[in-house]
Parts: sequence; C-alpha cells; structure tokens
Amino acid sequence: MLALDIADLVMCFPGLDAPVLAIDRLHLPAGARLAVTGASGSGKSTLVNAITGLETATRGSVSWGGTDITRLSAGRRDAFRAAHIGLVMQDFHLFPGLSAFENVVLPVRLSRRLKPAERERALQLLETVGIARPHQSVETLSRGEMQRVAVARALLSKPGVIVADEPTASLDRRTGDEVAELIVRLAREGGATLVVVTHDPALTERLDRRIGLDGGRIVEDSGEARAA
Amino acid sequence: MIRFILADLRRFKGGALAVVVLIALSVALSVTVTLQERAVRLGSARAAEKFDLLVGAAGSETQLALSAVFLQPSPLPLMSGAVLAKLSQDPRVDFAAPVGFGDSAYGHPVVGTTTTLVSALSPRLAEGALFARLGDAVIGADVPSPLGAEIKPMHGGIDQGGHVHTEIVYRVSGRMAVTGTAWDRAILVPIRAVWQLHGMEGDADHDHTDHDHADHDHAGEAPDGAAAGDHDHGHEAHIDADAALDEHFDADTPGIPAVLVKPKTVADAYRLRQEYRGETTLAVFPAEVLTRLYATLGDARSLLLAIAIGTQVIVVAAILLVTIMHVGARQRQIGALRAFGASRGSIVAIVWGELFLLFLAGFALGLLLGYAAARFISASLAATTAVRMPVEFAREDASLAVWFVALAVLVSIVPALSALRLSPARALRA
Repeated sequence: MLALDIADLVMCFPGLDAPVLAIDRLHLPAGARLAVTGASGSGKSTLVNAITGLETATRGSVSWGGTDITRLSAGRRDAFRAAHIGLVMQDFHLFPGLSAFENVVLPVRLSRRLKPAERERALQLLETVGIARPHQSVETLSRGEMQRVAVARALLSKPGVIVADEPTASLDRRTGDEVAELIVRLAREGGATLVVVTHDPALTERLDRRIGLDGGRIVEDSGEARAA
Repeated sequence: MIRFILADLRRFKGGALAVVVLIALSVALSVTVTLQERAVRLGSARAAEKFDLLVGAAGSETQLALSAVFLQPSPLPLMSGAVLAKLSQDPRVDFAAPVGFGDSAYGHPVVGTTTTLVSALSPRLAEGALFARLGDAVIGADVPSPLGAEIKPMHGGIDQGGHVHTEIVYRVSGRMAVTGTAWDRAILVPIRAVWQLHGMEGDADHDHTDHDHADHDHAGEAPDGAAAGDHDHGHEAHIDADAALDEHFDADTPGIPAVLVKPKTVADAYRLRQEYRGETTLAVFPAEVLTRLYATLGDARSLLLAIAIGTQVIVVAAILLVTIMHVGARQRQIGALRAFGASRGSIVAIVWGELFLLFLAGFALGLLLGYAAARFISASLAATTAVRMPVEFAREDASLAVWFVALAVLVSIVPALSALRLSPARALRA
C-alpha cells in the first residue's frame, strides 16, 4: 500500500509546444481509490505513463511511498514497477502461444525462477478471477476472460499499487461490470492503492475519488471539493 | 524463458524458417568446399601411397604420376625394357614391377604387370588366385565380372573407337581386395600378354629376335592416337593363353611406359630417383607430384571459400536487416513485457536468444547439408574414378565453427540492444 505524491509534474512531447500534462500537486493517500476521467487527448494516458514510470517525466517528481521514480534510471524504474505496480491495460497485452497460467507468471519467470508459493498464488488468483482452466491457451479465451487473466497477472506480485488504463473499454457492458467489480474488490482485499483511468460511469461510481483532466490539467477533483 | 522464445518463434515460423534456410545454405556452401577439398586431397594421397617411386621414359612428371596412380589414359612414351631388367636386379630395390597401359575392356583399363604388383596392391586377394597363365586376369574390387568370366581386351577405349584384340581372351582368375584407389577399376593381366598382343615379343616363349620392333610399338600409347593409325601390328597369330608366366626380365625386355619401384629404404628411394633422372628416363615420387597439384587445388579452395564467406556476410547482413525490422514490428510486445515487469536483461536475452537460436539451427542444418553434399560429390567421384575420397571433419574446422558462433553472438546482440531504445510507453504505442 503506497501513497502517491505528484509535484510540479510536466510532460512534454517533442514537436509540441504546450505540455501534454501539467500537474502542480496531487496527493493520494495509501489505499485510496482514484478514478481519472476526461475526453480523449486530455492527458489521461500520459498521466498513467508518468505515474507508472513507463514514460520519463520532463520535469517534476512522482513519488510512491517516498520513492521518486523520476529520479530512477530506466532499469531501476522497470524494476520498481515490477515490484510495486500492477498494470491492467485496455488491450490486455497477453502473449499468444502461452497458457493463461503461463501469462500470469511470465513477468516473474522472465526475471527469475518462479517460487512454489508464487505458483500457488497464480493458480489461486486465476481461480478467484474465474478462469476454470488455467492451462488453456490464452488466445482461445473470450475477451472478458482475457482481461481477467490480465488482472490476475497484475496482482501476482502483491503490488502496493494497481493502475488500470481503461480496463473495461474494450468489453461489453455486462463483462465490463464484472471486471470492474473484480478489480475494485481485489484491490481492496490486497490493500492496494488503486488508480483507474475510465470513461465508464459505473466503474467511476465504485471509486472514492474522481479527478477530471482537460488539456493536461486537473479541472475537477471530487476529493478537493469534499475537502473544501 | 525458453518456452516463451519457442512460443514466439512458433508465431513467426515462416520468417524463422526462411532465416534458418538462408543461413543453412550459406554455411553448407563453405562446409562443402572445405570438406570436398580435403576429401580430394586425402583420397588422392592415399591412392598414391603404394606408389613409392615411378620410373618412366623422359617426359612429363605429372603425366607419369597421374597415369600410374589414377590410370588416366594418356600418351606416355615408352622406355627401354632394359631399365626394368636393371631395376629388378638392383640390390636397393625391394621389387620393380612393369606397368603397361593402353587397352581396356568394358570401360575398365587393362593393365599389364606382374604378380608382384598385384600382391603389393592387395596382399590378400578377396577371392580366387593370382595369374598363373598368360591368359589369366586379376580384377579390381569394382570390376563387376565374376571369377572365370571372359574378358576381351580392346585397343584403346570404347569411346575412342578402338578395335577388339581377337588374339586373346583373358579369364578372370582372382579379385583384389578393395584398395580405395583407381586400381579398383583395373583389370590386371600378365605384362607379357600385353607385349604379345601388340607384337612386341616374338612368341610365347619370348625368344625375342626382333628387338628394334619394340621401340616403335605402342603398349603405352594414347588410345586415341594409336587406335586411329597403326593397326599393322603383324600379330594375327593366336596367343597361347595357357603358356606359363615368365616374370624374369633381361636386357631384351620390350619397351614399357612405366616401372613401379619399391625401394628398400628412404635413402635408397632418393638415390634411385637421382640415378634415373637422365636423358632417357624420368623418376618421380608420385606423392611429391601430387603435393604440387594440391597447391593449385588449395588456391582454388581459397577462392571458393572466399566466395562462400562473402555470401555468408551478405546473408548475415540480410538477416540483421530482417531482425531490425522484426524488432521494430514487435516493439509493442517488448514494451508490454517491460510494462508488466520483465527485466531489461530478460528482454535482451529473449531477442538475442531467439536470433541466436535461429543462427545455431541454420548452422547445424548447414553442417548437415554441407556434409551430405560433400558425401554425395565424393560418392559420385568414387563411382567414376574408384578413388575413395574420405569426407571428414578435421581439428582446424573447430576454429572456423567457433568464429561463426562468436560472430553470430555479436550480430544477434545488436537488435537485442536496439529493442531497449524506446521507453515502454512509446514502444506500447508503436
């Protein structure tokens, strides 16, 4: 469970004058559940990339539990993300040719030897998310099942943070609802801080706080409104 | 890791196969060139092993060696039979055997010689016995005739339009063991039968009166030249095939193209060679002549090998291009792997491992292909020349292989490192 602190964060892309993202200050307490909304091009994905360290910040700092990931080298940042941040993406990014179980343990297996406890946890997570046959090849699963496998993968290393980028956008309504419920429930059970980028009002409903982005800036924040 | 690499290769199996085949073909080319050159060198060296010293009439050293070792038909001049007599009695000589070429039967060379040479080539016969009568023949291991079969010798070769000698029909009395030389295709007959066939010896009991006749006859002449012009042998008389052998040679012995000499010691060999290098005779170590020929062969090998290595460089460059494009196309996958926590080292290992695996597979396949091709070429050469050409790997090939693997390691690391150039987010958008 990690708290997020953003200070003076600016993200610029080469060839663009205006910054794509500019956040002066954002604090998210450990264990909080945040929804990020906004039109496309508002900077939502850039925010996800910045807080997960997938993209290097142009300026400013992004701290998780006191670790400023903008100051880490690319390699250490990858390692920090592997250890502390579980990612769920719109396009699943599962690897065809491998089974559901193999996909869940792939990131760990590529870095080191899989421990028996991790193997157990992977199988249990797959059961929890409702995958009946963990050794079924991943390309034969339905889209909803694929996203469930991706959720299981995000949770394998017991991350302190779960970041989901449009996790329900490519699913139909009912499946999307089930996946949304799953993510929120598992984040709560695992005690993880949750950040979800979404258009989905049903998903936003399930979270405690919502910030709206426009033109790379925070234009509304339910948390501040409440505080105010 | 390995499972992931294999799953990944399965997804791109068409491209992977093409890369493997490309590498395999280019490797096979160099392997074949290297192995075949060695096979020809070793095979002919072994073929020359039993021919320590050859003495012939003054002329081309190379021609003398090739004719005697590989039984290559060619116009060899005759030298006086007195040389054979002298060599036979020389105390430094273990044995001296005449070699008379010129005739053939069913495409196999008929060689006139003595039982001594047969025993030298094949200490134990595979079957049958040495020749005991003028009409007997001992055949090489690759001559298909059975024991007791009749052989009708022909002057020259069948393709040169020679005529059949009607005066004698040889009967196969024995078969030599496999020697791995051109002599496996030969039909060996008593030298006196050859002389008589060509009218160089008066009659069966060789009470020779017509000495000068020998000097211009053609026991060793080129089949083509001989067959066309001079059929006036004046030897229509039947030859007594049952006449006993006479393997003693004196000063009246008819002319012969070559004498194979087995000296008693190495020093004797050098002394004899020195002595018989003169105005009328020529003495050569066939091994030495062949060594000179190999030098030429070696030059050809260097050229072919340079071409082969050139093609390999082109293939490697093409593969590099393909891989860099391939890595570009799979940036998304690489970005995702990094996003989900795969270490940078493992990404490099995956991209590098995949490419290296392809290189290795291509290399292994190329070795097999090259080896098979060399075996095939050797086999077809052996079928026409009877010279066994051993296809084998040697110690120095290992360093070539190490070079190739080292180069493969280096080349495949380039795309692996380029895979990490982009940030994971950019890679995911690719």
